[in-house]
Amino acid sequence: MSEAPVKQQEYELDTSWMQHMGEWGMKAEPGKRGLTLTEIQLGSYGEIPEISKNMSGRPRGAGERPDAYRVGAYGVRAKSEIWLSNATFLYEEALQRQWSSATDVPWHTIEALPDAMEEAECLLCTFFNEVEFVAGDVPARWVANTTPDFLEPRHVLLAQVMDESRHMDVFRKRALANGGGLMRMSGATSGFVGSIDLARDFTEMSTRLHISGEGAVLTMFRMGELFGQNEAEKVMYRLCAQDEARHVAFGVMHLRFLSETAPERREEIEFYLDEAEAQILSGVQNPAGTQAETSEALAILLGGGKEHYDEGHKKLLVIRRRQLKEYMQRVKTAGFGARFENGRSTVPQQYESAI
Amino acid sequence: MATKASQGMAVPAAMPDAGGAHGVEGVPVPSFEWMGLSAEWGVRVKPGEHGIRLSDLNVGIYGEVPEVWDDQTRRPRGALPRPGVPPLPYNLRNKHQMWADSAANLYEEAIQRRWIPATEVPWDSLKPLPDDVERAVCQVCTELTQYANTEIEIITYWQDQMSYGYYEVKQFLATATFDCARLIEALRKRALSNGGGLGQESRGLVNRMILESRGGWTESAVYLYLVRGTYMMQVLRGLLNAAHNDAERMIYGKAIEDWSRHLTYGYDHIKYSVSHQAGQADILQTLLSLGEVMMAAELQESTMRPALAIIFGGGIKGGRTIGMETYLHLVGEFVRNYLATCEWIGVPRAEMLHPMLKKYLEY
Repeated sequence: MSEAPVKQQEYELDTSWMQHMGEWGMKAEPGKRGLTLTEIQLGSYGEIPEISKNMSGRPRGAGERPDAYRVGAYGVRAKSEIWLSNATFLYEEALQRQWSSATDVPWHTIEALPDAMEEAECLLCTFFNEVEFVAGDVPARWVANTTPDFLEPRHVLLAQVMDESRHMDVFRKRALANGGGLMRMSGATSGFVGSIDLARDFTEMSTRLHISGEGAVLTMFRMGELFGQNEAEKVMYRLCAQDEARHVAFGVMHLRFLSETAPERREEIEFYLDEAEAQILSGVQNPAGTQAETSEALAILLGGGKEHYDEGHKKLLVIRRRQLKEYMQRVKTAGFGARFENGRSTVPQQYESAI
Repeated sequence: MATKASQGMAVPAAMPDAGGAHGVEGVPVPSFEWMGLSAEWGVRVKPGEHGIRLSDLNVGIYGEVPEVWDDQTRRPRGALPRPGVPPLPYNLRNKHQMWADSAANLYEEAIQRRWIPATEVPWDSLKPLPDDVERAVCQVCTELTQYANTEIEIITYWQDQMSYGYYEVKQFLATATFDCARLIEALRKRALSNGGGLGQESRGLVNRMILESRGGWTESAVYLYLVRGTYMMQVLRGLLNAAHNDAERMIYGKAIEDWSRHLTYGYDHIKYSVSHQAGQADILQTLLSLGEVMMAAELQESTMRPALAIIFGGGIKGGRTIGMETYLHLVGEFVRNYLATCEWIGVPRAEMLHPMLKKYLEY
């Protein structure tokens, strides 16, 4: 900007807004992790309404204007619908742990693989390229539909959209970096009733997306050390697992909050879990599932070649068992563990027989 | 890698029954039906000086970006389709509705230029300011928060309607909303850490205009980036010039970096849309006629005006003279940049500029 011309003129200055500001005198101090969102939950700025009446997009705690436009057609306005106790932590962690698929993955460690192994890896990458942004598209849609009074969970969801975007790109990069290419799509995430996409309630969506869907994927990413064929792939799965763990934590902690604050919805949630569990191993959304063709690819990678498919399949069973075990642990943490004791859930039996 | 030719395309050689799989008790016999199913095989993108970037992947069919992407599934570009997969509501399926050649590189740049308000902003550099100046800073933080929130809400409204065929744009927009979240966070932290608080919410004239732009993402981009964004960039530059401490300097400086990417995408996309869609220039002329009215009205009534004048003038007293002069000059710069960008895009506005905006050109 160039130098402003100086004129000898006095302008009118309306300062009436100074009488209508939010609570004054805030002096947040950085803590041992810096100045995090937790440190600024001060006074009225830290008061989360049970039901938000904010329809103008006002930042929480700002002074209201009676003539503000009612532009926020927010559907999610009840705290119980989206809140979780550790959102500030998850958001700040997401910022600290951002990574670059271009430069943080040691791509130079990739070496040519036998044909079947490369095809198997590329099928897996095609699958992840296809499904990872479900977890970007869908949370994004819910952000637009959630009142900004629930700033913290909205911010975690926006960090998730960013993470998923990076996952989509890292798997595409891997598929095109080693003499292979993308393969046939799976169609695993289409618009079937009961799918993540079509849920009309946030918690229903979160249960499917974060707890069952991403939960299963998280277990797999954590096992990337087993089926990654080189350092680049191992790093790729490790970094994705870090991100995915936050997304799963969001779902678990939200469900826990809901179960504690809206017990009238518990039975409804049990039904969502019933639906999820019916497909937990047989659904094609689970890349290690019994019906998913990616399972064959995984068995090849785990075995170390097509000729070691049987050996790989045994390792695949270990992954499936671990998926079930970790799923049960998450559901218990979320406050719905009784279903594994009272016979409602078949997951314990699936776990016992998945050997 | 060994491949076999099939209708001119390279396909993987490892086909079913190529050996290995057999019936072992407890192990289901694999079909391997998925093997050999690739539209283009043998791609080997090598990392360069900047690693492997998204734009490096645009080789062979993977780099073919069609004008229309009819597929309403999540099929990655270049992957083979699977018959029978039900569609999803991806309503934006034309390239001209969202494309910008710069999107892929902007995505990578956004990732490289990430920053962390909690630990990278030197919060200890904040020192008490005169009450009127602190109030003005906090008011500006509040309004800018609403600008960023509006950007989040309009992008996330459209993002899941954008086809997978143009994934670079979806990915760039993911970085844009993340930038917005981070700016909201940083501004809120600034407002609540120096003895102040948030200001009064905006009436939201332009916010409403952006949020009600439902005629397509391009319409939203016109209001969000060409109109509001061009002004916001000027405000950020003014704030950087007038920053009171290193913390503010870093926040405004980083926001300028971030919004430079947003505007680059926005301008590129609007230009692409105008040059690839018949009649689009005329539509934008109409949209901008309306947008200028809203923008001019907001410039007149918004609390940004006195708040920025106070910041630039060092207090209310200075705000009435040099502060307001500086503000008016800033708006003049905005209008000049806006006109120049409209010209570059192919929608010249100089002759039709709304009189309420035209008056700022004297500054």
